[in-house]
Amino acid sequence: MGISMSQDPVDVLIIGAGASGAAFAWSLADTRMNILCLEQGEWMDPSRYPSAGADWELRVQNDMAFSPNVRRRPADYPINDDASPIKPALFNAVGGSTITYAAHFPRLHPSDFRARTLDGVADDWPLDYATLEPYYAQNERMMGVAGLAGDPAYPPKEPALPPVPLGRLGERVARGFDALGWHWWPSDSAIATRAYEGRAPCINLGPCTSGCAQGAKASTDVTYWPAALRRGVRLETHCRVREISVRGDGMADGVVYYDAQGVERHQRAEIVVLACNGIGTPRLLLNSRSRQFPDGLANRSGLVGRNLMFHPYAMVNGLFPERLEGYKGPVGCGLMSQEFYETDASRGFTRGYSFELMRGVGPVSIALWAAAQGRLSWGDRHHEAYEAVFDRTAGLLAICEDLPEPHNCVTLDPELKDAHGIPAPRIQYRLSENSEKMLAHGSARAREALEAAGAQQVFSEAPLRVAGWHLMGTARMGRDPSRSVVNEWGRSHDVRNLFVIDGSLFVTAGAVNPTNTIQALALYIADRIKENLGNLFE
Amino acid sequence: MTNPPNDSAAAFPVETLARVLDLLIPPSTDGRLPGAGELGLSCYVEELLAKTPAPRPLVAQGLAALEAAASGRGARGFAELPRDAQRALLDAHAKTAPAFAPTLLFLVMTGYYREPRVLAALGLENRPPFPKGHAVEESDFSLLDAVRRREKLYREC
Repeated sequence: MGISMSQDPVDVLIIGAGASGAAFAWSLADTRMNILCLEQGEWMDPSRYPSAGADWELRVQNDMAFSPNVRRRPADYPINDDASPIKPALFNAVGGSTITYAAHFPRLHPSDFRARTLDGVADDWPLDYATLEPYYAQNERMMGVAGLAGDPAYPPKEPALPPVPLGRLGERVARGFDALGWHWWPSDSAIATRAYEGRAPCINLGPCTSGCAQGAKASTDVTYWPAALRRGVRLETHCRVREISVRGDGMADGVVYYDAQGVERHQRAEIVVLACNGIGTPRLLLNSRSRQFPDGLANRSGLVGRNLMFHPYAMVNGLFPERLEGYKGPVGCGLMSQEFYETDASRGFTRGYSFELMRGVGPVSIALWAAAQGRLSWGDRHHEAYEAVFDRTAGLLAICEDLPEPHNCVTLDPELKDAHGIPAPRIQYRLSENSEKMLAHGSARAREALEAAGAQQVFSEAPLRVAGWHLMGTARMGRDPSRSVVNEWGRSHDVRNLFVIDGSLFVTAGAVNPTNTIQALALYIADRIKENLGNLFE
Repeated sequence: MTNPPNDSAAAFPVETLARVLDLLIPPSTDGRLPGAGELGLSCYVEELLAKTPAPRPLVAQGLAALEAAASGRGARGFAELPRDAQRALLDAHAKTAPAFAPTLLFLVMTGYYREPRVLAALGLENRPPFPKGHAVEESDFSLLDAVRRREKLYREC
């Protein structure tokens, strides 16, 4: 059966309409090139997000679950994560995982780009904080970031919007940090706390991680994409790319994909850009084998799929004597602490971690959590036990830096395939000793903070199984073609019209949520392409 | 009984299920919170098990065992027994099938804690978060005074 040819070749073909693809498309539209984005998912309908229905707490465990293996929406592909204690979490739609992220939106620290030089571990990035700083600022304006200037944990920055309110719960926890003399600061949050660029202001719905029905959270379907489409970028949904095709001279010539009707098509392009996240991008490269690239495209270094980094999380919950109104307000945005961010050798591990406040959850979720913890059983004491936990929990997440290790990797599963018969990714990952020590330290310090805030009991889980939210390092950037997949501005060392712009680029992970950095990198790479259009492939 | 207890298509003995649910989540002593069976959640549990059938055999077998135990005591059915006797049978069954009650509790809680009477007793409005949302007071960031006085925490490089 032959492949159906699509319309005319395009100048730039972006695969994936998530955090990075949207930012990149918007920026590159300056060039007036013919830009097409193919996205395997659909446009989400915010009016159908869980928070608009009575079953909102149940849908978070079903069709809006973090894991595609649980969710199984038509756009999802399966992931063999049996060999990982942390389960990958991603979303496939216009907006990608920004649909379900918490919108916690910090930057990396300057030291994150210099882990080798400063701490003797991993590698330095091929760019630095100062280079990325204007792109952070640009991205924060586009996404509409709420926060508070003056944080001593960062070089100066000016959030566009006032911070998300702490609420009773956040103030309680903040006083715990104060009592210990530890740093804390209102989160940088990609949430419109005021009406912003056509977005309605946050009304503290709570469950941001199952989509924002209000449209206040900055998922890229409501930020970059409307602007990019107005600039002439084309976006086609329900298009699942199977492989990147190559010409005889070893350059990419487009992609083979399945359209909404399942018809196999070939779309040619002058430039191919991967924006499929730290699992989807190596999966696609490894699926793009040919005579010229028998080990997968852009993989002469052998590093495609290797050095997978999550952020191992410790989840620590405190039980307080009074009600905290924790279900009011963005669940993952409130405050963060970077008291333990920078390396301190006396702690017994290298690099560090952040704390992030987790607000409370709804009445069903707390019941299920308490039952799983053995704190809520059946019978005559049920109500008493429930009363002791409902709206009385506050959580701290310790988000730990994960160092790159080649054995942590994405490969192709020999048997598992998606609905189109495309080989699915397989994850092999184990925690390093450094991460184990960091998780233990973070759990202990979180307990101290919560107890200082008045928690009467504290419960920990580390690593947090469901928390494979951040997917990084699997096509990393660098100047040395033998030690990196793409160069310092995202261009493949092996295929000079092929670019990577997503979290796969990360050389190290830092200890903060990566989306702001992913998008800043995408904007930076778009600018480098614009500057080098005359000799882009040299 | 005409149906075997693990027949996934069989209907549950509704009255038995309702009484078991009332034992799992009984009415509160102050009367504010209703029992789960009293709320009619046996139908909800049946619907849930039709959608996610994996725990259905465990539930069916447990209910059948309770019915059989009640018959063994000369009752016409579990639902006919006094509450203390029902509780004694459920306790006894829990020793041989420890997963039965926790599984059923897990299932019924996903409905119980969405019931209007329960939400009202918890001080919550009977509505989803959207579109009304929640009011949260602006924070007083003088709380940060001590942090503001600190030296920078990041490394220049």
